[in-house]
Amino acid sequence: MKQLIPILALVSMLALPALSQAQCRSFAKNKCMPAMAPYKFNETFNAAQLAPSEEAEVDLTFYSGQEYRLLVCAHPILGAVNWQLADAAGNALFESSADAPQEHFDFKVATTQKLTVHIDVPASTSGGNNMLTVGCVGILVGYKE
Amino acid sequence: MPETDSTAVLRSERTKNIFHNIPSPMETAALLKKAGAEYDKSILNDVKNVDNYTAASRQALNLGIYGADLSYASVFNNTQESMLYTSCAQKLAKKLDVSNAFNEEVVERLEKNRNNRDSLLSIISETYWDVDAYLKENQRDNISALMVAGGWVEGLYIATQVTRHHDSPQLRQRIAEQRLPLGDLLELVKTYSPDDAAIASVLKDLEALQVIYADVEMPSGTSTMTEENGVATIGGTAPTASLTDDQLKAITENVATIRASYIN
Repeated sequence: MKQLIPILALVSMLALPALSQAQCRSFAKNKCMPAMAPYKFNETFNAAQLAPSEEAEVDLTFYSGQEYRLLVCAHPILGAVNWQLADAAGNALFESSADAPQEHFDFKVATTQKLTVHIDVPASTSGGNNMLTVGCVGILVGYKE
Repeated sequence: MPETDSTAVLRSERTKNIFHNIPSPMETAALLKKAGAEYDKSILNDVKNVDNYTAASRQALNLGIYGADLSYASVFNNTQESMLYTSCAQKLAKKLDVSNAFNEEVVERLEKNRNNRDSLLSIISETYWDVDAYLKENQRDNISALMVAGGWVEGLYIATQVTRHHDSPQLRQRIAEQRLPLGDLLELVKTYSPDDAAIASVLKDLEALQVIYADVEMPSGTSTMTEENGVATIGGTAPTASLTDDQLKAITENVATIRASYIN
């Protein structure tokens, strides 16, 4: 029995990343995707488990003449997150702060270009261990035909 | 205010989660349609080839290729071909053991919605998303990367083949703009081990294309934000991308060679 406990603990640790990724997929699909309507979402799966104080970034290509919805969706365990859309020169084009969160930004681009989405999960204010609290953050892009 | 070097380094150290965006075959097909492209089923990968792919790497590349063909057929509302390509994609998904994400239930939903184009497109996008996510959550990111690369190559192949018979500045612009997703795709593929022969081979193919694309000028620089008819519009001052005859010819020939090596 004494030998079994460390083995079970190891198996649990190895299974955890896959399990949490699966939960992330499920969260993004069930809680984030419905908010894309009436936009057609593109097939990109950009979602990850983040902890308070962690940041994430993704470069996205947007095509001229298309109308887009950019949606950043965080698991309630993390609370609202700060996110920003910036151009290639780093200038902010849209910002959503945790204090006044906006789940999505609808826009169109006149010139095809690459823009960067930057996400910043605020530090936990509950006083607990930040690294023990992880939650899924999904970035979804939809377009209108 | 511009970032100082130390701020940029700090920010880069804190940003540990950098996603690599992948090009969307469905959006590429929709852009081609908007640019005036016509549907040509003769350029798609033959459905009879599906049983020829025995190695996992070839199955992944061709899952991406059939997925792009499925998107092209569906965006142009060719239901019969959509169903054929659905069947090919599902066969490869099963061989790759991703039938959890692309199963009989999906095929049934597609069959049921075959005459409802919007539903069909949504189910296809959702399935592609599920397959990609399923591969990633099972640490099979290299298979996902091959599928994505196959899909992008097929999208570019379709665009160049369509342009051979129906050349227009709009189509050339969309082909030129593929320089941006090509950069993303290269970044994605480079994150995997060069010891993986299939990944190394795809990387070499994409780098050859990047050499051709290096001369294609893309708009860049500062963007402006305005509002047009109540919609936030991000503009730029640079002209739209375009291709010379020589550039178009080089891209067309190169991508055809790469694609032939994937499907045969």
